[in-house]
Parts: sequence; structure tokens; C-alpha cells
Amino acid sequence: MGEYSGMDQQFVETHFGNSSDFTKPIKEIEEKWKLVPAFLKIKGLVKQHIDSFNYFINVEIKKIVEANDKVVCDADPLFYIKYTNVYVGSPDVDEGFNISKPTTPHECRLRDMTYSAPITVDIEYMRGSQRVSRTGLLIGRMPIMLRSSNCVLTNKSEYELAKMNECPLDPGGYFVVKGQEKVILIQEQLSRNRLILEEGKYGVQCQVTSSTHEKKTRTIVFVKANKYYLGHNSFIDPIPISIVFKAMGVISDQEISTMVGIKDLRKITPTLEECHTLKIYTQEAALKYLGTKLVPKRFVTTKVKTPLEEAREALTSTILSHVPVVEYNYKMKAVYLALMLKRVIEAQSDSKFLDDKDYYGNKRLELAGSLLSLMFEDVFKRFNFDLKTIAEKTIPKIRATQFDVVKYMKSDLITNCLVFAIATGNWTIKRFRMERHGVTQVLSRLSYISALGMMTRVNSQFEKTRKVSGPRSLQPSQWGMLCPSDTPEGEACGLVKNLALMTHITTEGDENPLVRLANNTGVLEINTVGGEFINSDGVYLVFLNGNIIGAIRHYRRLISMFRLMRRSGYISGYCSIYPNHLHRCVYISSDGGRLCRPYIIVINGIPSVSKEHIVELEKGIRSFEDFLHDGLIEFLDVNEENDSYIACYERDITRETTHLEISTFTLLGVCAGLVPYPHHNQSPRNTYQCAMGKQAMGTIGYNQKNRMDTLMYNLVYPQAPMVKTKTIELTNFDKLPAGQNATIAVMSYSGYDIEDALIINKASLDRGFGRCLVYKTSKCLLKRYANQTFDRIQGPLIDTQNSKPIWKHGVLDADGIVGPGEQVLNKQTIVNRSIPVISAVPGAAPGGATSSIEFRDAPIVYKNPESSYVEKVMVSTNEEESGLIKILLRQTRRPEIGDKFSSRHGQKGVVGLVVEQEDMPFNEYGICPDIIMNPHGYPSRMTVGKLIELLSGKAGLLEGKFHYGTAFGGSKVADVSEELSKHGFNYQGKDFFTSGITGEPLEAYIYSGPVYYQKLKHMVQDKMHARARGPRAVLTRQPTEGRSKDGGLRLGEMERDCLIGYGASMMLVERLMVSSDICEVDVCNQCGRLGYCGWCNSCKSSGQVSTITMPYACKLLLTELQAMNITARLTLNHYCK
Amino acid sequence: MSEGGKESKTPMVYICGECHNENEIRPRDPIRCRECGYRIMYKKRTKRLIVFDAR
Repeated sequence: MGEYSGMDQQFVETHFGNSSDFTKPIKEIEEKWKLVPAFLKIKGLVKQHIDSFNYFINVEIKKIVEANDKVVCDADPLFYIKYTNVYVGSPDVDEGFNISKPTTPHECRLRDMTYSAPITVDIEYMRGSQRVSRTGLLIGRMPIMLRSSNCVLTNKSEYELAKMNECPLDPGGYFVVKGQEKVILIQEQLSRNRLILEEGKYGVQCQVTSSTHEKKTRTIVFVKANKYYLGHNSFIDPIPISIVFKAMGVISDQEISTMVGIKDLRKITPTLEECHTLKIYTQEAALKYLGTKLVPKRFVTTKVKTPLEEAREALTSTILSHVPVVEYNYKMKAVYLALMLKRVIEAQSDSKFLDDKDYYGNKRLELAGSLLSLMFEDVFKRFNFDLKTIAEKTIPKIRATQFDVVKYMKSDLITNCLVFAIATGNWTIKRFRMERHGVTQVLSRLSYISALGMMTRVNSQFEKTRKVSGPRSLQPSQWGMLCPSDTPEGEACGLVKNLALMTHITTEGDENPLVRLANNTGVLEINTVGGEFINSDGVYLVFLNGNIIGAIRHYRRLISMFRLMRRSGYISGYCSIYPNHLHRCVYISSDGGRLCRPYIIVINGIPSVSKEHIVELEKGIRSFEDFLHDGLIEFLDVNEENDSYIACYERDITRETTHLEISTFTLLGVCAGLVPYPHHNQSPRNTYQCAMGKQAMGTIGYNQKNRMDTLMYNLVYPQAPMVKTKTIELTNFDKLPAGQNATIAVMSYSGYDIEDALIINKASLDRGFGRCLVYKTSKCLLKRYANQTFDRIQGPLIDTQNSKPIWKHGVLDADGIVGPGEQVLNKQTIVNRSIPVISAVPGAAPGGATSSIEFRDAPIVYKNPESSYVEKVMVSTNEEESGLIKILLRQTRRPEIGDKFSSRHGQKGVVGLVVEQEDMPFNEYGICPDIIMNPHGYPSRMTVGKLIELLSGKAGLLEGKFHYGTAFGGSKVADVSEELSKHGFNYQGKDFFTSGITGEPLEAYIYSGPVYYQKLKHMVQDKMHARARGPRAVLTRQPTEGRSKDGGLRLGEMERDCLIGYGASMMLVERLMVSSDICEVDVCNQCGRLGYCGWCNSCKSSGQVSTITMPYACKLLLTELQAMNITARLTLNHYCK
Repeated sequence: MSEGGKESKTPMVYICGECHNENEIRPRDPIRCRECGYRIMYKKRTKRLIVFDAR
């Protein structure tokens, strides 16, 4: 303000307006949250999967093929194959006879096929001495991600989607592989090509994982006994770092020390001295020394190199392989290595230099596209290698037909590899020594939210068993990027995370324009500057994606210039720049996998987005992209976020503020966004709800009636919640809800409501509250076998006496399959299939005599004590042209005692009692609650959000509108209460209730109103189990285990301990032997061994043999021991003596 | 796809999932709609009487 103080009042007023306006608080931009839906239209949630896959399919795949475009062979110097182009087509199915038909994802789901598109290439190759070119050659099939650029669903109207049996609200972003929906989870890992300082084995060490397309190596610089070493897999021993410098051509000690730029030279003298003791003074000597330390190669290639050459090769291409070496100019690498050394030295005295590995700026998220590209690159290389070996084997042979490689280009290899990887989730790439399991998961279709929640899931690479808290705990830097609430409980707690609503994950961007921009803004190229300049005061090193590109004196100018260019759209909006003053570096990144989110740009304390912009947005004149283009909004990644001042609200804006949050509720994810008033709840309750929201039954999509999933739960009357949140509307939860608005009364009723049990109104159940549909699909495959035999289906077996089908086949139609609408009872046959006894014998099958083949019954039987109805029967064929029959079975269930319900606040409970409406309490309007909940659920759990939800919901009912419970906002309690009292209700939401049993008024006013309740998938009918006698395991003769096998109820170790402690010895004997595997054995008291039938076979007598009872498991142990040549001899005593 | 003794003469009627055309398909016939070539068929509802409990 100082420089304006001299101006007169008049001047200021004409030029800057009324000065009293300056101090006024900045007006809040109302409805600025509308930017969120605009954002979600183009980015966010599942868009990152799709973007990543699109990038792979359209750009990366071409790069991969280009990088491996030539196949040559040693047998014929003329021979070559050259790939000139590659395309991924649109998904289709093979109809045989080389005819293919476009397909839809739904058809693939139903027919258990893979939704994939052909990968075709254009090639140029030598056939004999003739050069041939071919176009459109199929090399494999690529599974296609739904809603990606090649998918048939993209840019289709709702009507067109409905025609294809697809739900318009389905997010896509997954694959359909063999009829199963598979998601490639987002994988979180440490960023590559970055310097990481950490505590190592000997102390501080600097680690770099270099990753290029060819190689993935790790280089470590560490300190041991005051000397600095370089550690790398290709050397048997750590190498003194001074030798490495010399090998890179930095020969003089003075040059090394200026390059490192450490003031205290004593730190590196012992290291420098090492060279002198080893008498290494030249580059050649240093390389020779490195040659002796190389790990011997396992496969000796034909070209023999000298150790010196090998060492030079290793130095160029394996050590710090991401730093380019052009024509053996090691300058860049030497500077990089010097920096590593410098950081280690600095970190030794100052722990501030150590990096936080859990910091999200140091993390990269791997998406479907990059994972698939790794897989494809690997298999494409293998494909080319196979072609090469075939060529080498076949060309030398002299044959009638000329060698034509095209004949050997089979599409199976690539297809099978990709399908196998996605189907199993095993990502094994030998080249990178990568072996990961569980990369893909079956998309959970329990509810719409569970499917959507799965698409935002982030999996961490850490081992679950390790008991470290670092990677599991909440990181401050994950603010706004990852949801703080949504994580599972138990072993994966904190390792599995979910993206927040507005997070975007970057895809790789082009580096060249960034380098050019940097050079034009005053960055001096690293090859042109010396160590002295780099380490002089005020000079900052400039990095681009982990590589040093140069040094600069006026780094602030670079940063502001860079940001200016980004805001005006000259460079990609997703690259970031930020300084690190501790490192004295400026980092520019444009690599893929960074987390970023949009912010409103604030200039001079005024947000760029104004009310007019939002009005334009509402009118549809402006889209989110326009905001980006006009430089009103920009994306910040985690690192740049930390170089910015971000205000949450307009009122927080100060002079320094650079950015403004679009909307605070976006810091939560999809699942946590369902919770109304989450900011009033104790935080673990929100976490519990995140887990339970995924188990809630409801609707899964508009196409749910056309689907044939193995298991599907639907609610008969789903309702949209009375208290909504912005997130609910953005994710379309209100269109595909999972729950019902129940009127609850918070009071005690009978004793059946203790420990979170709920009392339910029976009349409500009759009206359909909590009624659900359970669909199960039985599948039947009709295979064809190698010997011309095939599975067959026969009509029902007719009872000869009454000429009616036998009971088991009672529901079968003439074709041997149940008819839709039929009720199926336990153990009835639904498909009467029989399979040939002999199927594998090749050639033995008689050609025409099909009737002589023996068949064995292999029916599909319905196994469930509760009956089901057949909803639908589908008959089709799968990819291998074998018959496929799917039978959809339906059960309609009404809630019963023991079924699990939950509100949206982590308040779960089971039904404790179902009460007739007559016995329920009622208020003066005659309203009876649907659910009575015990008030003891509140004090310890502190779910105030639920109390407010009830209040808002009640007011919403009276007013006829939905209230909002959006995080950090929503309808205020005071307003809601006012609304209630306006309608003549109690201000606090309490009502006067009359007991339904006695007819007397209840002593207290009851807090009652609507609360959104979810029915969870855990139902007693699927769990209840009891057995008296039943099946036993063959080997041990003990009762079988598990409900599905009608197993016994285990008396476990701890229960056993109780009985021992109590001294109930006979009880123990009964539980562990009599009721389990009691067995009578004959023991010979003379030799102590087991006999039989009162005869001891070793003593050849029956004199001393007596019969005793023991557990069969004990007898089994004795015989098993005997089988391995150990005899256990028993000594018998009369227990009365 | 059946080979039921007497019934094998009378082909079953299936409904196409695409055009809802009724197709008579004999056992071991390829499953394909005669009208539109779609490969998914559904069975017709049973002719038997089904009684539901109203609960």
C-alpha cells in the first residue's frame, strides 16, 4: 500500500473505485458447486480408467509396435518383417467362416464371451527374395474397456443404449472377459526415475529406480565408513563412487568436487583417496576396474566384448538408465550422480533431506492402460521372438512351398495372454521381474454404489502382513485426492483407498514442448554449464520427469512463465511445476499417474470465476473445458498444491491466496458422499458406512432385469433418500437407490432391542418394507469332445406306472430344461444333462454309431431347502460354439428376525422382533413407526448426523421437498427446526406417543421421523444352520465342516479350554469323541499294537486283546505312524485299579 | 438340444432375444434366430398352472 499513499483520494477513486469496497469481504460465488457436475462430465471417477485405456489403444500401442517394428533372422540376411502400422478395431464376435458380427457388451455377458476387438497390423516382409506388403493382418484380440473410444457404447443416446440392453448410468471402465466383468484396480506405487533419500542398511542412501521401455534397474548411492559407494545389481561389489566418476570421464578430483559442490571437502576426501590407492587415474583404468567387478553374464552371446567395453556398456545403458547418454557423453549422468552424492552428504547432517515415501507427491497411480501396455509390449516381443525362431528353423530347410511368415502369425498368443492376465489378475512380466497377483477383481454388482466404488479403488503394493503404520495412516497430502473415510477395516486398512470425487489421474504428456519452453525461459542446458555454476548461490537445477535438463538463476521467472503458458493453453494443462527450496531445484513433471484436481485460480485476491461464468455454465454456453481454456480453473497435482495457497472458502482469501477450492464436499469419495451430515459424525462411523453402503441391496442398473448374474440382490420397492447430498445427485444414486425411508422411533421396546437389534412393524413388512428379490443363476455347459461325442439333454423320465414324470423331473419341459415360471423344490433337476463316459479317447469313437456311446447322468440340481421360481431360461452358445444354458432363479424374501439392516451412519442392527402394528406405539396423527431403535445406540457412537438426518427428513416430509445433508454444508438444524414448528410439530422433532399395548401415553416424548435404511445382503436364510447327525469326512470320520456340506458345529480350542478349566471331563469325552469320531479298536496288551476281531496278528493270539474306544483320528495317527515305520505301542490299564 | 425319446419329434419353441421371433429349434440344431441371426434364445413360459401364496 505504501507506494499509493502519496496519491490523492480522487485519483484512487477514479481508477480503482470506491476505496471502502477494498476491505469488503469477497462475495461468495453461489452455485459454484455446479462446476463439479460439469467436471464429472469430462473427467473424474471412472474417466481416468477410460482415458488411460484410450491413450493405450490409440497412442501407446502404436509406440510399442514402432519400437519393436523389425524382426530379422540370422538364417537369412535378406529376411525381415517390418510393421508399418497397427490398429485396434471395434469389438466383434467370430461367427465362423471368417464372418464377424459387431457385438454388444451385454451379449458378451450373457454368452460368457470376451468383449474384444481385433488388433490388426500392416506389414512389409520378405517372401523368398520378394518383398511383399500386407494390410489388415490379425495378430490378436484386445479386450475392450466399456465406454472407451473403441467401445460400441460411447457417444450413444439413452435410447440407443437401451436398445443394446445397457444401463445409461453404468459407468463403464471395466472389461467383460469370459462373461465376467473385470476391473483392473488402480495400483499405487512409488514414482520412478526420482531421487529417493532414505535410511538404508549402512545409514543414509539415495535410491533411484530407473525405468525405461527396455530396462528397469535400481541404483543406490550410500555411505559406508565415511566412504561413498555406488551399488547396482550389475556389479558384484559396491563401487567407490570416485571410480564411477572417472569412468564417466570426470577425471580430476577437483572437477569431481566442484560438481558435487560440497563446501566441506573433508567429507569426500576418503572417497577420492580410494582412487589413488587403487592407482586409477584415467577413464580407461577406471573402466577396466569396473570390468572386473561386473556380474558375469549367464548367456554368453556370440559377440565377445572386452570387460572394458562391457563396463562402458553397463555404464551407458544400465546404471541410471533413464538418464540419456548421447554418443558416450556422460556429462548428464555425471551431474546426476554428483547430485545423488550431494544429497546423501547433506542428508547425513540434516534429516530434513530424507524423503517421505508415503507422501503422495512421490507416488504414481498405475491404471488399466499402463498395465495393459506393459503386458502387450511383453507379449508382442514374445510374438516377434517366436516368429524369429520359426524363421530361423524353417528357412534353411528346402521345401516345395516358399516360406511365408504370415502363415505363422497366429492370433492366439496375444489374445490368450491378454485374456488370461485380465481373467486371473496375475501380471507376470519376466523382463521386469514383475509378478503381481490380484491386479484385477470381479466387478461387485451388489448395488450400483458398490460397482461405482470399485472403479475408484486404489490398491497399494505394500504387503498386508507387515505391521508398519506409515503406509496405512492418513497422509496430509492425500487431502482432496483420496477419500479420508473410505477404507476397509482389518488387514487392508489404509492400504486400499478410494479416489475423491474430483480427482483426476494424469496420462503421459509430451516432453518436447516443455523442454523448449524451459530453454526459452533461461534454462541453461546442463552440457553447457560446469559444476561451479550449478552449485553457485541462487542457481536452481531444473528437472523434467526425473531428468536434469539444466540450471537456472531466475527460477521464479521460469515458474511464473510456465504457469502462464499452461493457463493460456500453450502447454498441457496437466503438467506441473514447483520449486523445492531445500533441494534448490525446480521440478517439472508431465508423466502419467499423478494425482491432480482442479482449482479456481485466484489473482490478486479475487477469484477468476465470477457469477456470470456460473450463469453461463447453467445456460449451457460454457463447459468445464472452457473454464480451463480461459485460464479460470487449472489442475494442480500434489506437489504443486504444496507450492500454492489454497482457500477453502471465499472468506478465507487473503493477499497471498493463489487458488480457491471449487467445493469442499468433493474431498470425500463416492461411498462417503452418501452419508448425510458426515461432518457431524464420529469419523470411524463414516468409514463403517462406506463399507456397508457396498452391501446394501437396491437397484444395480436399468438393465437389471436383463442381466443373468450368478447372484443378484434387488429391493422390491427402492426409494430415493429423503435427505440427499450433492454427491448422491452427482453419482445418480437417487436414480438407482439402495434403501428405503423408514419412519423410526428412538425408544426402548420390549427386551428384543438390546445390542442394536431393531423392532420392526409387521404391517410395514406386509406393505413391502425391506422386501427383496434374490436372483441366482445356474449355468449348464454342453461340451463337445475330441472323439466326436457331446453332452446331451434328455426329456423327463416317465414313471411307467402313472405315465407321469418322476418327482425329480417334475418341473422339466420336453426339452429337458425347466420352463420359466415353474416352482423348483429342493433336489429337483433343472437341466437333465448327461455326458459321455468316454470322451478323451482319440480315434476310438465310432463315426456314425452315436447311439452306442454310453452316457452318464450329470444333471443340474437345485439345492436349497427354500424353493425358488424360474424367472428366465436362456439358451445360447459360447465362443467355442458349445451349448450354454443359463437359468435365472428367483426368490422373494420378506425381512425376518435376524436380517441385517443399517442406516447411513454406520449404525447396523439385526431384526430382533417383528411386532403387529396393533402393539406398536402411535402418535396423535396415528403414525406408527416402521422401526423402533434403541436409544443406547447413540451416546457411545456419537452419530449426530443420524439425528439431524431424522430432523431434516421429517421437515422435508411436511414441506414436500428433499433436504440436503451435503458434507460441510446442507440444511442447517435451526432452519429445519423452524420448518417443523411452522407445521405445528415440535421444534426438536419429538412427538407424543401412545403405547399400543396399554393404550396409555408414553412417559416421554419420542424422537421420531424418517431415516434412510439399507437392507444389507446378510440374511438369516442364507446362514442358518443346525445339524444333529449328518455326513462325515471320509478320512477322519469326523463330521464335515461348513454349512454347504451340512457340517457339524465345531467345539473349538477355546471352548475346549473352558471345559478343561471347569473340569467337565465326561462332557469333553462326549463332545470330542462320542459325538464325533468314536471308534472301537482292538488292542493287544502284550505287544501294544492294534489288532482286529479280537485277534492280534503279531502275537498270533487273542489272549491279551481287549476292545477299547478311542477317537478315529487317534487310530488313524497310529496307523499312519506305522506306515512310516514308527510303532506306537499302547499299554492298557484297568481304570478302576 | 435334447434327445427325449418320444418328444424328440416335436421341436421346442424358443423366443429370440433380439427380434422376439418364435423359432422352432430341434435338438442339435444351431441356436440362431431364423429372422435376425441373433444367438440368444429364451424359453417360453411354462403352460402349467402356477399358484402363488400372497404373503
